[in-house]
Order: sequence, then structure tokens, then C-alpha cells
Amino acid sequence: MLLVGLSVVAFALGFLVVGRFRLDGPPLGTFAAFCRSLGLDADLAPASEPQPPLRTPSGVAWTAKTLDFIAAGDATHGAFVAMNCGACHGIDGVSHSALVPTLAGLDAAVIYKELADYRSDKRLWGVMNALAKALSPQDAADVAAYYARLPGGLPAVTGLDRPAGGRSLRQTDPALRLVFAGDPARGIAPCGVCHGPSGYKIGAPALGHQGSDYIERQTAAFATGARANDIDEQMRTIAAQLTPDEMLAVAIFYSAPASVGAPRSRGLVSGF
Amino acid sequence: MFRANRLALAHYWVAFGLFLPAVVLGAWQMLMRSPLPAPLDDSNLYYASVTLHGTVMAYVLTTFFVMGFGYAVTATSLGRPIRGMPAAWVGFGICLMGTLMAASTIVAGRASVLYTFYPPLLASVWFYAGVFLLVGGSMIWVVLMILNMSLWKREHPGAPVPLAMFAITATAYLWVWTASGVAVELLGVILPAAFGMTRQIDAGLARTLFSVTLHAIVYFWLMPAYIAFYTLLPQAAGGRLYSDKMARLVFIMFLVFSLPVGMHHLFADPEHGVGFKFLQTVFTFFVVLPTLLTVFTICASLEIAGRARGGRGWFGWIGALPWREPMMLASGLSLLMLGLGGFGGLINMSYAMNSMIHNTSWVTAHFHLIFGGTVVIMYFAIAYEMWPRLTGKPLRSKTLARWQLWLWFWGMLVTTIPWHIAGLMGQPRRVANFDYSMPLVARTAALVDVSVVGGGILLCSAALLIVILVRSHFAERSAVRRAEPAPTPGLGYALAVYPPLRVPAALNGFALWNVVVFILVVAAYGYPIGQFFFLKAHSAPAYDVTRE
Repeated sequence: MLLVGLSVVAFALGFLVVGRFRLDGPPLGTFAAFCRSLGLDADLAPASEPQPPLRTPSGVAWTAKTLDFIAAGDATHGAFVAMNCGACHGIDGVSHSALVPTLAGLDAAVIYKELADYRSDKRLWGVMNALAKALSPQDAADVAAYYARLPGGLPAVTGLDRPAGGRSLRQTDPALRLVFAGDPARGIAPCGVCHGPSGYKIGAPALGHQGSDYIERQTAAFATGARANDIDEQMRTIAAQLTPDEMLAVAIFYSAPASVGAPRSRGLVSGF
Repeated sequence: MFRANRLALAHYWVAFGLFLPAVVLGAWQMLMRSPLPAPLDDSNLYYASVTLHGTVMAYVLTTFFVMGFGYAVTATSLGRPIRGMPAAWVGFGICLMGTLMAASTIVAGRASVLYTFYPPLLASVWFYAGVFLLVGGSMIWVVLMILNMSLWKREHPGAPVPLAMFAITATAYLWVWTASGVAVELLGVILPAAFGMTRQIDAGLARTLFSVTLHAIVYFWLMPAYIAFYTLLPQAAGGRLYSDKMARLVFIMFLVFSLPVGMHHLFADPEHGVGFKFLQTVFTFFVVLPTLLTVFTICASLEIAGRARGGRGWFGWIGALPWREPMMLASGLSLLMLGLGGFGGLINMSYAMNSMIHNTSWVTAHFHLIFGGTVVIMYFAIAYEMWPRLTGKPLRSKTLARWQLWLWFWGMLVTTIPWHIAGLMGQPRRVANFDYSMPLVARTAALVDVSVVGGGILLCSAALLIVILVRSHFAERSAVRRAEPAPTPGLGYALAVYPPLRVPAALNGFALWNVVVFILVVAAYGYPIGQFFFLKAHSAPAYDVTRE
């Protein structure tokens, strides 16, 4: 009986009393408190002040629909679309220019998102904006599928890497420290958990074997806000904290084949 | 012991055989988190290591130990062979296969998601399938426990089921209810994503389902310790159990109260409102009842033993207890750690105070003290109690066993007390290493160093455990020393002061209590789980930690 009584009291307290009181507003009525206690409080009241308009960094969200759409890309049609790309990104998807990234082996979701961002002017680079606007979303998914499966370029990020010492905050080499341990004092997460070799996140490109000049330029663009299509602003936050020397060191780390494992078949042309 | 010996020993050896490497990993993890130099300091390796350490300690050590203990208890307390021996071996095989699948996947670096899975992180399907087999295989054990108890009851109408058997069957029922959460999570949410049937994981639903398991599983781990307190300790102390009915009531209360409390692990989760969090906080406080009843009953039983051994005065009986017996010593140390850890637990489960320590090292320190301390030290004592009975050879030696238990106790205190304090100072948990050049972090450096020393002590103790068990198991029978009396076959269970002749049906079976548990689980979890199907969707893209 005592336990039943206590349960009833707990129910009354939990659903009618505790939910009433808020840090950011006056106490709620009984029904509103009950709803809030069930976790249904998103639309209890309008926002107290008008909010500034949000700048959306990208039109792409990683919903199941988007991911399925990208996964269903037709690489055969993509090969046809890719005829637009070869002049700069290399016939085989391997770039020979410091300004242009290698696409062969790049994750399809990354290519799709960047094309979408160029199409909506969320990312700016004259010729790419013009080319992307000529492509439909289906073309973008197809060409992404084509390049993602094209061998000979970037190695696959597996998240599997032979354990090695020195991949912690004890590391003194700035590039290795940033890539494998980050810098908590400046709020910098390790580069490697999103860009490889130790991890992978949807929408983050694997950087191993990408050109160092390209990586360095993009990091600098994020730092100044010239590039701003990172969905959660993580790259702008991190890059703004990096010194130019650190940007260079990390870029060189990623471009150097020895540090990120061998590419899938033939190697990249070095000399960036 | 009616052929149950080999079965029980096989289970114990898997449990303790994997326990030692898991302690090695734990000691390395301590070093990795510290300011001291650490070999192979790789953050990714740290998470793989934590996953293996947690999986072995939480799933493998416990499940195999409890199963082995259950078989030994069934055979000895009922005084007859176990019914369903072939099925028991099949269950052992399935659990072992699951263990090997999960462990090898983690070692291969394909499952660094920690033992609580942390969706939407996604590991290799082999890891989840291995854990599922381990849990699923143990259900054969559950069925055998229930079957053996009900067959015995049918053949002994009206007679009270022996307390040890009653308690291990309560453990079996508890395990079914406990495992239901993680089983549904695996089958319904995680495995479909791991098999590639969906790209999304409803992290809120998965976490809520896991919370059904997450706290009750602690009581599943704890049950052998409590069974030892009630049925083995009074005997080892040379006394009697104070009350048989109180003991039954306590095991029933654990079965009933440990289920509807798991949401105190989700206090910071936004997908739930305050209502059910508060309600389950109150339910969590109910778990204090069986714990306090146990402290009372065990102290009373020990006082009976102490006075029978000539102890006088208010406290003289304490000194008169046979502290040189491993079971006695381990129980005392275990209850001490239960006291310390229990008060820490009150803070964790308090809705408001929890926010001080949520996701800090305090939580990690707490469950190491409660599980690694209170529970596992009793696993050692039970092993020392059973080894001579199972192998027919004496324990070599009680002195070493006492050393091992003391080392474990001090190691655990030296590890966890500074760890708690570091947590209070804000050190986050699940972090591979810290930047000790930051002033805020530097304050915890000395504390973490002390914990490293504690980890080293624990490692020595674990190694000593294996030495004792191996020496005892593989000793020649001729090596039996005269000083040691020949081990008696079968476990000796404590008699109650008033051995029960008849007990009410409610204290002799579980039909009523399973209904009560069902009602409580539906009341506590019906809405929190149901809401995901019609009100809220929390699906997020699965993050495959080992993209192929």
C-alpha cells in the first residue's frame, strides 16, 4: 500500500508539479505542464523575440531520402556526365592541378553535396557554379556514383587502421597531433575522425592523397568564411583557430602517400 | 556434484579466462587517459579497447559466471542431477560462439562503439550478432533454471523450494526481463541498419530500449553476490541465516523493482519529458528497500555467527567472525564498497543532482566501484568456495586468496576514489586522452596518476586470481596438504534460524511477481517507448564506424 501511495504521489509530482516550472518563463497551466512532462513542449509558446533570419549553409540534409537517392545513382550515365569534368579534374578523375581536387574514389555523398551547394550558390567557384547549374540532381547523383567507383584515385576510407603509437595528445608533431588528437584547448576535434584515416562522417571528404595545395586553400577559405557550406559550421570554427603553418602541415600530411596508406591501384602523380 | 562440475567449471573458465585480458586492457586505458607515457597511444585503439573491456566485463564475465553458478546451485541445492544437461552444453556452445564473434570483431577494429552501442554509431554486424547469440544462448540457461525449479516443485508439493534455487530462478526471470530491452533494440533497430536494410537509426528509441536493460542488468550481475550473502556466507561464518522469508522477499523485490528504473540513465535525453524521468527516479529509490533489508539480515546473521563463536559485547562479535575465510573477508569488503558506491548511486539517480555528474568520470568511477568492487569480489569468493568442490582438490591457497581479495579491494579504492573526484571536477567520460597543459585539466592530473596506480594493483590482483585458480585446478591430488581438510562434495548452504516448513505460494514461485513486473514495465515504459511510433521520430543517419 505504501508503495502504491508513493507511486501515486510520484505520478502527481512528476506530471503535474515538476513540469510546471521553467527557467525561461512563467509557470505553466496544468494541461501544459502535463504535456511538457510527456516531452511534448516544442510548441507551447511562440518564440519570445523575433529571430534573425537564418543563413542555411547547405540545401542538403542527410535524410534517408537523400541518401537513398545518392545511393541509387547510375554510374553509367554518370560517365557521360563526367565528360564535362575531365578537363580540370583529369580524364581518370585524378587531378593534376593545385586548384582542383581529385574526384576518383571520393565518396558519392560528398560529390553530390558539393554539386548541390554549387548549384544553389552555397559554395562559390565561378566555373563550378555554372557547370553545376547545368546538371539536374539526378545528373549529380549519377556523376557522383561514377567518380566514387572510379579506381586509381583516392584510397577508400575504412576507419580501419593499424594501431600506432603517437596518436594522442602526447604527440608533439603539430600535424600528427591535429590529425589524430585534435587540440581540446582550442576546441578542435581531430581531423582524422571525419576525414580519415581513423574515421568517416557523411558529407566529409576523405582527404588522404588529396592535393596539399587544394586542402590548404580550402582550409584557409573556411577560416575567412569565404567558404561556408559546412552544415554545422564545424570547419569554419576549426579552421579559424588554425595558424597558417598548421594548415600547411595538415595539408602536407594528407597529401603524402606514406602517411595515409597506399592508394587502391596506381598512385597519384605527386608534385603538388 | 552430479556431473554438473564440468559444466560449471567450463563456464567459470570462460568467464575468468577472458576477465584477465580485460583487466589488462583496463589498466592500459587508465594509463592512456593519464599524463604518464603510454605504450601504443592511439585514440582509436582506446575506443576499441574500451569496447572490448566493457563487452567482456559486462556481458561475458557476468553471463558465463551467473550461468555456471546457476548450474552448480541447481545441482547442489536440489540435491539431484540437472535436468536438461545436453541443452545446457548447447547453450554454452552458443554463448561461446557469440563471445568469440563479438570479441574478434572488436579486436579487428570493426566495432569500436562501446558495449552500450551508442546508436547512431554502427559497428560490424558480426559484433551485434555475437552479442545477440551470447544473450540468446543464455536463455537456454534461463529455461533450464525455471524447468528444474518447477519439476522439483511438482515432485515436492507444498515443500518450500530451497532458498538458493529460489534465488537463482529469480535471477533467471530477472535476466529475461532485463535482456528484453537490448534484444528488441538489436532486432528492431540496430541489426536492420547493420544488415544494410536501412540507413537510419532511431537513436531515441534505441537508447530508450537499452535503458530497459541498462539498470536491471546491474542487478542481474549483483544477484550471485546476494545469493552468496544469504546462502553461503552465514555457513562460512559458522552461523545461520536470520530469516529465510526475508531473503525470499528481497529476491522478489529485486526482480520487481530493478526493471522500471532505467530512465535514470536518460536524464539528459531530450526525447523524454520530465514526467517519466521523475517517476522512475522515485521507483529507483524503491531499490534501496531490498538493499537495506539485506544489510540488516546479513548483519543479524553474522551477529548470530559471531556470538556463537564466543564474541561478546556490542561489537565483540565482529572480531570473532572467521575473517581468514575468503568468503567472509570478501563479503565484508564487498559490503564496505556497496556502502560507498551505493551512496554515490543515490546521487546518480536523483533527477536534480544527476546533472552535476552527468557524463563525467564520476559515473565511470561509480560503476567500477559497484560492479568491479562489490559484485566481482564476490565472484572471486564464490569461485574460491566452489573450486575445491568442483575440482575435488583444495584451494591453493587461502593465504594467497586473502592477498588477492585485499589487493582487489585496495586497488578498487585507489582507482575509484580519485576517479570520482576527477569527475566532480568536471572530467568528462568516454574521452581517450586529455590535454594536461590546459589549466582546468591539469588540476586532475595527480588524481588520474593515482588511479593508474590503482589500475596496476587491480591487474596484480587479477593475475593472482588466475594463478590461484590454475594452481588449484591442476594440482595433483597427492598435493593435498594435511592441514587442509578434504573438500566436501556439494556446496553447504546456510540453514535459517527457523528453517521454513511451509511458505506462502507467493514466496515459493514467481507467477504473481511476473505479472507485477509486466504491469510496472508497461506503466514505466509504455509511453516512453510508444511515443516514438506515433509522436516523435528521431531517426539519424547511421555512422558506420567501419565503413567498407
